[in-house]
Amino acid sequence: MTGTSKITRYAIVYSVLSAATFVSIFPFYWMIVGATNTSAEIVKGKTSFGGNLLANIERLLEQVDLGRVFLNSAGLAVAGTLLTLLVSSLAGYGFEMFRSRIRERIFALLLLLLSVPFAALMVPLFIMVSSAGLANTFVAVVLPSIASIFIIFYFRQATKAFPGELRDAARIDGLREWQIFLHVYMPAMRSTYAAATIIVFMMSWNNFLWPLIVLQTPEHKTITLVISALTSAYTPDFGVILVATILATLPTLVLFFVLQRQFVAGMLGSVK
Amino acid sequence: MRSKIAHGEQINGWLFVMPALALLGIFLVYPILWSLWISLQVGKGSNLHFGGFANILRLFGDKVFLHALTNTCVFFVVQVPIMILLALVFAVMLNDAKLWGRGIFRTAIFLPCVTSLVAYSALFRSMFESDGVVNNGLMALHLIAEPIQWLTDPFWAKVMIILAITWRWTGYNMIFYLAALQNIDQSIYEAARIDGIPARARFFRLTIPLLKPVILFTSIISTIGTLQLFDEVNNITQGGPGDATLTLSLYIYNLTFQFMPSFGYSATVSYVIVVLVAILSFLQFLIARDKK
Amino acid sequence: MKKLSTRWGSAFGCLVIGAGMMASASASELTVWCWDPDFNVPAMQDAAARYTKLHPDVKITVNNIAQNDIKQKLQTQLLANVTDGLPDIVLIQDDNAQRFLQGFPAAFEPLSDAIDLKKFAPYKVAAATYNGKSYSVPFDSGVTGLFYRSDYLAAAGYKPADLQDITWDQLIKIGKDVKAKTGHDFFDLDFNEAGLVRAMMQSAGKWFFTADGQLDIIDNAPLKAALETYSKLWKADIVKPVSGWSAYTGAFTSGDVAAVASGAWMTGTIKGSPDQSGKWGVAPLPKLDGIEGATHYSNWGGSSWYVFSSSKQKTTATDFLNTVWAGDIDFYQGILINQGAVGSLLAAREGAAYKASDPFFGGAPVWENFSNWLGQIPSVDYGTFTQEVNSAIQAQLPSIAKGGSVDEALKAINDRVSQQIQ
Repeated sequence: MTGTSKITRYAIVYSVLSAATFVSIFPFYWMIVGATNTSAEIVKGKTSFGGNLLANIERLLEQVDLGRVFLNSAGLAVAGTLLTLLVSSLAGYGFEMFRSRIRERIFALLLLLLSVPFAALMVPLFIMVSSAGLANTFVAVVLPSIASIFIIFYFRQATKAFPGELRDAARIDGLREWQIFLHVYMPAMRSTYAAATIIVFMMSWNNFLWPLIVLQTPEHKTITLVISALTSAYTPDFGVILVATILATLPTLVLFFVLQRQFVAGMLGSVK
Repeated sequence: MRSKIAHGEQINGWLFVMPALALLGIFLVYPILWSLWISLQVGKGSNLHFGGFANILRLFGDKVFLHALTNTCVFFVVQVPIMILLALVFAVMLNDAKLWGRGIFRTAIFLPCVTSLVAYSALFRSMFESDGVVNNGLMALHLIAEPIQWLTDPFWAKVMIILAITWRWTGYNMIFYLAALQNIDQSIYEAARIDGIPARARFFRLTIPLLKPVILFTSIISTIGTLQLFDEVNNITQGGPGDATLTLSLYIYNLTFQFMPSFGYSATVSYVIVVLVAILSFLQFLIARDKK
Repeated sequence: MKKLSTRWGSAFGCLVIGAGMMASASASELTVWCWDPDFNVPAMQDAAARYTKLHPDVKITVNNIAQNDIKQKLQTQLLANVTDGLPDIVLIQDDNAQRFLQGFPAAFEPLSDAIDLKKFAPYKVAAATYNGKSYSVPFDSGVTGLFYRSDYLAAAGYKPADLQDITWDQLIKIGKDVKAKTGHDFFDLDFNEAGLVRAMMQSAGKWFFTADGQLDIIDNAPLKAALETYSKLWKADIVKPVSGWSAYTGAFTSGDVAAVASGAWMTGTIKGSPDQSGKWGVAPLPKLDGIEGATHYSNWGGSSWYVFSSSKQKTTATDFLNTVWAGDIDFYQGILINQGAVGSLLAAREGAAYKASDPFFGGAPVWENFSNWLGQIPSVDYGTFTQEVNSAIQAQLPSIAKGGSVDEALKAINDRVSQQIQ
């Protein structure tokens, strides 16, 4: 390969990646700029920072019990994430480690179940949850999402990379299967769990339709429900909405940056 | 002894998958069976009665359904390949250990998928106004002479929805490819390079075949996502202008919540999506197998 | 196993009790669902404060939920036939009401026996009447007006008097002059909103259905005239295309376009730009050309309060609506001043706030005008399938705007809706 063609190649790579980076980042910049402007300025498409940030925050706090809302969202997301990781990783491990023809069939069927739109299941689910006396509880929000087909798939893929020697050694040491899972598999798959944490946390933090249907009282509101209510005005205040949007995006962003290194490593494991 | 071990394996196998299967049985399979039963009911609101296959017959005469089906297929056929190709290209570029700043690029391109659907839809809508920042930018670069009517022209509205989904999900798919690429033994590439195989041929003849399982997985997930496309069209265009971006999921939503509720029929339309996913996933499996 | 099940049972019991406490609490607590934190919510909170002053034992919680979210919650719970999650009072937009009343006949409490609904604008009561009973206490009126920038019109040589008693054709001519002189489009329109077409049609006393509820599209002269007017507006090149509410309101509040035809509730949005004070006027809606029974009065939007028959507090809820919403004239003055909400209680227009003139609109008595127009809005039966027809019309708007045939559009609308409502 000659020097010049290498230079052109890198020039192309850098310009493509820079363009992609710009396109990816710009809406975030737009969101932050918007939060500092008035609603009228945002509608006119102002692209520079303004001085309205504090006023927007103040008006948001007037309308919304932010502490409560965040606590609700965070509680739901944390509980949902922990339970989903546990149940779905158990299943992913089980499907991969202990093969049987019936379970392979079931596994294949799961992919098809993934494609049923939620709208079709909402009314039956709601009837079930209410007749169990769980309407308007956080339990009802979390329960249906704990066994996530997507995460089961993900863990099964990742388990393919789990070294069989580790498991054999543990068996020789006399560990039971659940102990192997708990003490050998889970620590060894830390980064897989980290990656799944990000994905599951994002899904449950941003969950909208089901919490909307199940939760009835204002004390139970989550941040996505609040944003939806804010946008409903005849004259929506976009400054306030964008402040709420930033607050709603921050936790997932922070989590991503904290777990980023393990995330990439975890994804790596899942496709081996 | 051996059969005892096998027996133990069986029991353990079930024990590990049981919690998930039990929950899926209660919260997925049971509602699915229930909604299949509902899909055989006709009537308005709470006045439902058994109608047999009336809802399925109704599909064929329903122009709006056929229109939504066409739109959904257009989104699927155009968007999924573009996104997967872009994700692959980015991943291959970022797989170069000598590339300076790859961590920054990788993070930046992945970042869109941490935004919530409600939030990013609101952002895109405001950016694509006719005198919004996208048009202003394109005009400043002299790429266009007058503003594109992103939200009010049927063609450009489709383009904008495709841009929005691509923005949100390309980085997500890229991470899968990037991870897969890092597992490929670099010596294969070295050998190919020494043999004088050009970069493009290496991409198509080496990279893509090696990544086939991951590409299959992501394309099935993307297919399901695109066929269930709802939040973006609901929040950005409401299916407009003039039904140009109406998707099957949005139509199901309208049938359930906006129109006189005919829940049986909307459940029937839902199962059209399931059948489509089944067919398309099967085709994707076939294609992946053939090339082996 | 037994031990396990009792333990689960008690945990379950705690959850249920916990949930129950959240939901019901004290004996006289009312919950209200409505949308818009700047309009409906504060108006309802004001009403609640007035009632709890008279009845300190009653607690009223007003919950702000987006309109679409309310529809989803109601429909899911009514379909599931689970009523314990429902509030006592809910706000429903008028053209949506019949869909709920007929789809879920037993869900709402008839109010016409307990409350004298003759005190309200007749067209509002008609919208919530089903099988001879009326189910709502009417709230805000969507009485229409033509809001316009008087300074732009003056630049083109028009005075406020030139907008009185005109037809849409005459308005289009004015619009062209304004565009020629000032460079501003006259209107901005969104293809996802057919409100203007509906308002024009209702101004001639017609809706999408015949008296016996049959679909009436092809031979519906006011609808045809409304779509033709819509087409003429675009042909005259005086319309700026927009999409979405923010862009729609942004176009006239920023001075980009010269006018907007809308419901009275738009007043608050327009007055949101105080720098434009004195530069606005309000005229009655133009008449449709060549249509028998055409008037200058119509309705766009507006909603009403409904009581659920499942409510354990429905007597209190009804009494609350009767006391404040059907009786307190002073309350209506307050929400008019604070939220710009034009109520439908006819007696409210005798109050002081309704008589006041507004410097923002060049000192015109806009509220008095609106309330005079309000009493003259033709009543129509919104029927059950308004959303279906509306969505079918929206699907045709882009092609009509491009100059497509109105007759073909009517046929397409008719075909599509006939198929959907079978």
